[in-house]
Amino acid sequence: MSFRQPSILPGFGLTLGFTTFFLSTIVLLPLAALVLAGTSMHWSDFVGTVFSARALGSYRLSFGASLLAATINLVFGFIIAWTLTRYDFPGRKLVDALIDMPFALPTAVSGIALTTVFAQNGWIGRYLEPLGIKVAYTWLGVTLALTLISMPFAVRAVQPALLEVQRELEEAAETLGAGRLTVFRRIILPIILPALLTGFTLAFARAVGEYGSVIFISGNLPMKTEITPLLIVIHLEQFDYQGAAALGLVMLAISFVVLLAINLLQAWGRREQVRVMR
Amino acid sequence: MSITLDQLTKHYGGVPVVNDVSLDIGDGEFFVLLGPSGSGKSTLLRAIAGLSAVDHGRIALHGRDVTHVAARKRGVGLVFQNYALFRHMTVAENIEFALRVRHMRARDRRARRQELLRLVSLEGMDNRLPAQLSGGQQQRVAVARALAHKPEVLLLDEPFGALDAKIREELRRTIRQVQRELGITTVLVTHDQDEAFAMADRIGIMNLGRLLEMGAPHDLYSRPATRFVATFLGAANLILARRTPDGIQVGATTVAAAERATGGRENEVVAVVRPEEIEVAARREDLSSGYLARAVVDEVVFTGALERLRLRLEEPAQAPRLAFGDGEANAALQVTRTQHEQRGFEVRPGQQVAVGVRRVHVLPTPLSSFTACAPGTQLAERLSQQALLAELAARMKTRIATRVEPQLGLPEARCQGEDTFVGTTVIAAYPDAAQRAEWLLRRGARDLLVLPDEARAPQRVLIHWIGEASRSATLAVSASLLRHVPAEAVYVGIFPAQDPGAAASQGMRELLDARSEAQAAHGLEMRTELHFGEAEEELARRLAESPAQMLIVGVSHLTDFARRFRTLLEGGRWPVLIVHRGTP
Repeated sequence: MSFRQPSILPGFGLTLGFTTFFLSTIVLLPLAALVLAGTSMHWSDFVGTVFSARALGSYRLSFGASLLAATINLVFGFIIAWTLTRYDFPGRKLVDALIDMPFALPTAVSGIALTTVFAQNGWIGRYLEPLGIKVAYTWLGVTLALTLISMPFAVRAVQPALLEVQRELEEAAETLGAGRLTVFRRIILPIILPALLTGFTLAFARAVGEYGSVIFISGNLPMKTEITPLLIVIHLEQFDYQGAAALGLVMLAISFVVLLAINLLQAWGRREQVRVMR
Repeated sequence: MSITLDQLTKHYGGVPVVNDVSLDIGDGEFFVLLGPSGSGKSTLLRAIAGLSAVDHGRIALHGRDVTHVAARKRGVGLVFQNYALFRHMTVAENIEFALRVRHMRARDRRARRQELLRLVSLEGMDNRLPAQLSGGQQQRVAVARALAHKPEVLLLDEPFGALDAKIREELRRTIRQVQRELGITTVLVTHDQDEAFAMADRIGIMNLGRLLEMGAPHDLYSRPATRFVATFLGAANLILARRTPDGIQVGATTVAAAERATGGRENEVVAVVRPEEIEVAARREDLSSGYLARAVVDEVVFTGALERLRLRLEEPAQAPRLAFGDGEANAALQVTRTQHEQRGFEVRPGQQVAVGVRRVHVLPTPLSSFTACAPGTQLAERLSQQALLAELAARMKTRIATRVEPQLGLPEARCQGEDTFVGTTVIAAYPDAAQRAEWLLRRGARDLLVLPDEARAPQRVLIHWIGEASRSATLAVSASLLRHVPAEAVYVGIFPAQDPGAAASQGMRELLDARSEAQAAHGLEMRTELHFGEAEEELARRLAESPAQMLIVGVSHLTDFARRFRTLLEGGRWPVLIVHRGTP
């Protein structure tokens, strides 16, 4: 196989060169710097920083809450996308525009807003307090903040896929005797599953990297409500650049593994689908 | 009966897309619903499948009322234009889908699948994905899938639309063969008349939500009842002819016809002449058929087996008037000739020929053409350009003539123009419209449309007649008009207010009689309403209730006409079509 596929479109060399250059300067170079900074530490220092109890606690919260938020968005993001694509109601356009608000809002603003509402004396917090439910300054608050800021990704990923499900397919299934549940399970779900997974992946990736909104609502108690990005900032503030880089490296590694796993799952799912049919 | 539809109606945003359709389809029949896009044929099919709810009416499959039964419990198989195969499933999975949701055992499913694949000649394709099949093969799979659960009725929605000509032909044959083999009642929706002719036991033609006519392909082609069917099913020349006691007079020829003028009265009719029924020759003496007129060849197009000609008629004064087209300029006759005819007499553009007619079919429609009548030329011209009138004429493929009557409405004055009135006479709804209407009716106008300037296409047409003499003519005119207007028809029965009890029971009977006569004799489905009081008053009140209504009213005598009809004709924005039969 030759490296360059003959193509009728001109500009292959130029575009490939630009792609490589762009990816290198914007993505690979900074990542390489991070890896370099992290690995230039002494091995025992590295292990000490990365496996400290405080760091382990922060990983658990960061990745646990992110997975939970992405899962919540998988379900509710789908429901929102379904409502927006399948029904026409007054104010649909407005709701549609509202979905993107978390994109545009500075994340700190979202954090402050959530804290106002869910603090012990907040609008909703004061009613939850007597029930023994604390949202602000607990892992629940962190999850809530992450759910909010990653929600648009889930919705926007599923929406076009839902639009693509032709009504005729559902109608065909219906005339063949399928009930609504069967139509959903056997016809709609298989078609939108890749999009659902993409939405989940994007939401998860976004949540893991989130910093601004979480620090306001989490209370930042070491071991309890401290997320890894915050821990990195704390290291930075103590001029411990190498420690910060080490933690960053771990985040990078875990994120990469999770994203790779989801991608592989998706690819396997496609193959499996074809295989099972045979 | 396999499929029975009774007065099915469905509206979208106030406009009826399926308008009072009643239909019986027999066991094992192959029925084709033919119509232009937007005629409501697909909506009707979806209603039978249960995918689209109806506003009014009843659907029965094999005697079981399924009007409110969900699609999945109706036991129909539906094939879509774009196949609608499940792309993430193999051919086998697709076909077995209906069996799987019915929890059939795997072994039985496989047996049934093999049987179906053999039926559509796709053996061995079980494990392919739809994306790996050609369009024709995909549609075969769709047919097999639709038949898997042994439905009682097979519905096909433009199934060949996305295929090219060769494959289309092949698939047509397959489907017809499968249908015969299984003896399954089938309804196919299409806009392609070749397809309809090739496949149908019976064709139903739809336009504007109405089922206009149905019948065997040959009958519909040779004896259409409506202009729409005549021109939609193959090409047709519509010619305004005169019905005389001797037969049908087309141009210079009188053709013997079954339908002669009754009561010694001549009247204008619309004659259908198929392009292949026209003969051309060098001289009149060379024609073997009745002479129509002389013409100049405008255009010669070679299309393989046939040759198409466009002829421009000469001497417009004596030539027969073509209904199609609104001026003499585009009055062209369409002619098709076989190779044999071409060899006998070759023609070139610009050549003069004599034109003969072999066979004429007269449409039973009473609305032949419109004549805008006013006291002055300018007024008549303006009236002839009124929006609703222009729309009606365009839809009915007929023409609007003008007629000037300077003394229109003056009690003792005589007609200025020729003494006879042809077609439907149209006058504007001026303040003295009632008097003018009476004047025209007394001088021989039979169908008279009183048209307010702002009148637009009606959504509802009210029908009423005063006196039995005008009853059948009113129904015929209404049926003819409603074939060209997407409106609902409502028969308004009005009975004296004195004794509501006795009148009501008699009234109901008359309403039902009127309805069944309209349906049986004219194919017109109409809703009915019962009112009590003075006919003219009640009609005016009913018309004032909502906009976009029109009235067709039959009258049998003209006594005191102007006074009785003043409010109706001068009071509102609604158009009124008066059908006068009986005594002056």
